[in-house]
Amino acid sequence: MKFEIEARVRRASGFTLVAAIDCEARSLGLVGPSGSGKSTLLDAIAGIEPGARVVLDGVDCSADPLEGRRVGYVTQDALLFPHLTVLQNLLYSPRAEDPGEVPAALGIPRLLDRMPRSLSAGERRRVALGRAILSRPRVLLLDEPFAGLDETRRREAMSWLHRIRARTDLPMVLVSHLGDEIVGLTDWTIRLEDGRVVDSGPSASVLRASETRIDNYLTGVVVGPGRVLVDGVDLAAVVPADASGGVRLACYAHDVLLAAEVPRGISARNVFPVRVSSVVRAGETFLVEVGKPALRALLTAEAVERLGLREGSEAVAVVKATSLVYLGPD
Amino acid sequence: MEAVRISLGVGLVATLLSLPVALALAWFLERTRSRARDLVHTLVLMPLVLPPVVVGYLLLRLFSPRGWLGRALEGIGLPVAFHWLGAVVAAAVVGLPLFVMMISLAMKGVDPRLEIVSRSLGRSRWETFRRVTLPLAWPGILSGAAIAFARGLGEFGATVVLAGRIPGETETIPLAIYAELDSPGGETRIFSLVLASIALCLLCVLASRRLDRRHRMRLELER
Repeated sequence: MKFEIEARVRRASGFTLVAAIDCEARSLGLVGPSGSGKSTLLDAIAGIEPGARVVLDGVDCSADPLEGRRVGYVTQDALLFPHLTVLQNLLYSPRAEDPGEVPAALGIPRLLDRMPRSLSAGERRRVALGRAILSRPRVLLLDEPFAGLDETRRREAMSWLHRIRARTDLPMVLVSHLGDEIVGLTDWTIRLEDGRVVDSGPSASVLRASETRIDNYLTGVVVGPGRVLVDGVDLAAVVPADASGGVRLACYAHDVLLAAEVPRGISARNVFPVRVSSVVRAGETFLVEVGKPALRALLTAEAVERLGLREGSEAVAVVKATSLVYLGPD
Repeated sequence: MEAVRISLGVGLVATLLSLPVALALAWFLERTRSRARDLVHTLVLMPLVLPPVVVGYLLLRLFSPRGWLGRALEGIGLPVAFHWLGAVVAAAVVGLPLFVMMISLAMKGVDPRLEIVSRSLGRSRWETFRRVTLPLAWPGILSGAAIAFARGLGEFGATVVLAGRIPGETETIPLAIYAELDSPGGETRIFSLVLASIALCLLCVLASRRLDRRHRMRLELER
């Protein structure tokens, strides 16, 4: 989607946002410290904050009111309608006719008759996401959709969003301060500070040293006790004894090691050859993407240089079984 | 006990009539950024602070057969001044400020971001009001209605000026008590009217408290 946005917002508190954005991205990330104007910019795109020029894929929707703009707006408070059931929330939009595959894709098919108050924080976010997707928006606007969840729940919710991303081609704008959300879900990122754009580029390149906690999300099939087949590679992972069929796993990029040749006499149980598909600077470190299975490894500049890693080069990936965390059934 | 029946009828009809007006005013005060809000707020509060007799006099000027509204209403067979409807109008106008304040409070409790989400999902302002604001504020609105009803039961000053004291038609509980003060042996009747008045008001306040608790419980569920 081509994003052409000019926002000029003055708040009573004295804060002003002056941002002009012109970029083409499947998904756009907005990062920056709190109070930098990320949410204000998102509100301007949504039409909640009036007066911004917003052109999406050449269509000027600056004059469209909030209800006519067709944006799927999701915030960190799920903001479910407390007097409606999960199903009624999902079908709230006049454009939502049938929940279809969305509840299954978000792992909420058994919650449809429940009231929002009986849901966990993670479940509420997923319902809010489903509600936004079912309103058939042109673009999803996500304002820190996973903030406030504990780490396990956050990784789980992220992996659900990954699934949705894989199944639909919905463009999105994501506000976040977490590297794994930005790198995992967006391809172009804008950095804001004090209401001004200070950096803009491919997502990993915009990250700073403190933001490079990046997660990998994998799906595979259980083939034996503690063994999961992912993209044709048999991996040892920590999965519950009763897990079977499709499962979702996660693994931090800083837990993936790369070696020039097969190391000997180490405890790590997953050692497999990979091919490097990209090397991108991420803050003071480098993010190396390999396949298969598709994994991101976070390495220092020195390590990248020593191993001579570049697009197309061969390497050996090393992942401890305990670094591959089970998130739930697929 | 004729007076109790009249008071209940007047209070009920006055509350029902003023409900849509109070809803519209509260929505305007709570949910718009219009510059006229201050002026409207001031006007809404006036019947609360003005002497009821003054309110009654102004209403009489407006609704008497010589007033422009009174003439129009009489034309369609709805006389107000010195009729049952006059007592209703007086109770509605004097009860309105409290009603609007209570509904405003109920709407204040509804997270405006829920309304933003509703609109972003494609529902118009009116649909959002009907599907989100109104159902969530409803117990609070009913709680306000109970108070407005109780206020209407006890209306005296404006009623006596606009509707007069016509036994069996406009003589509500307070008017009847006032009349009995002068009549010999009226004390027992006064006593039963006072008792009825206290009982009704107590019931209204209890109902209002209960509804208010439900309202707050409902809103706490948002998070």
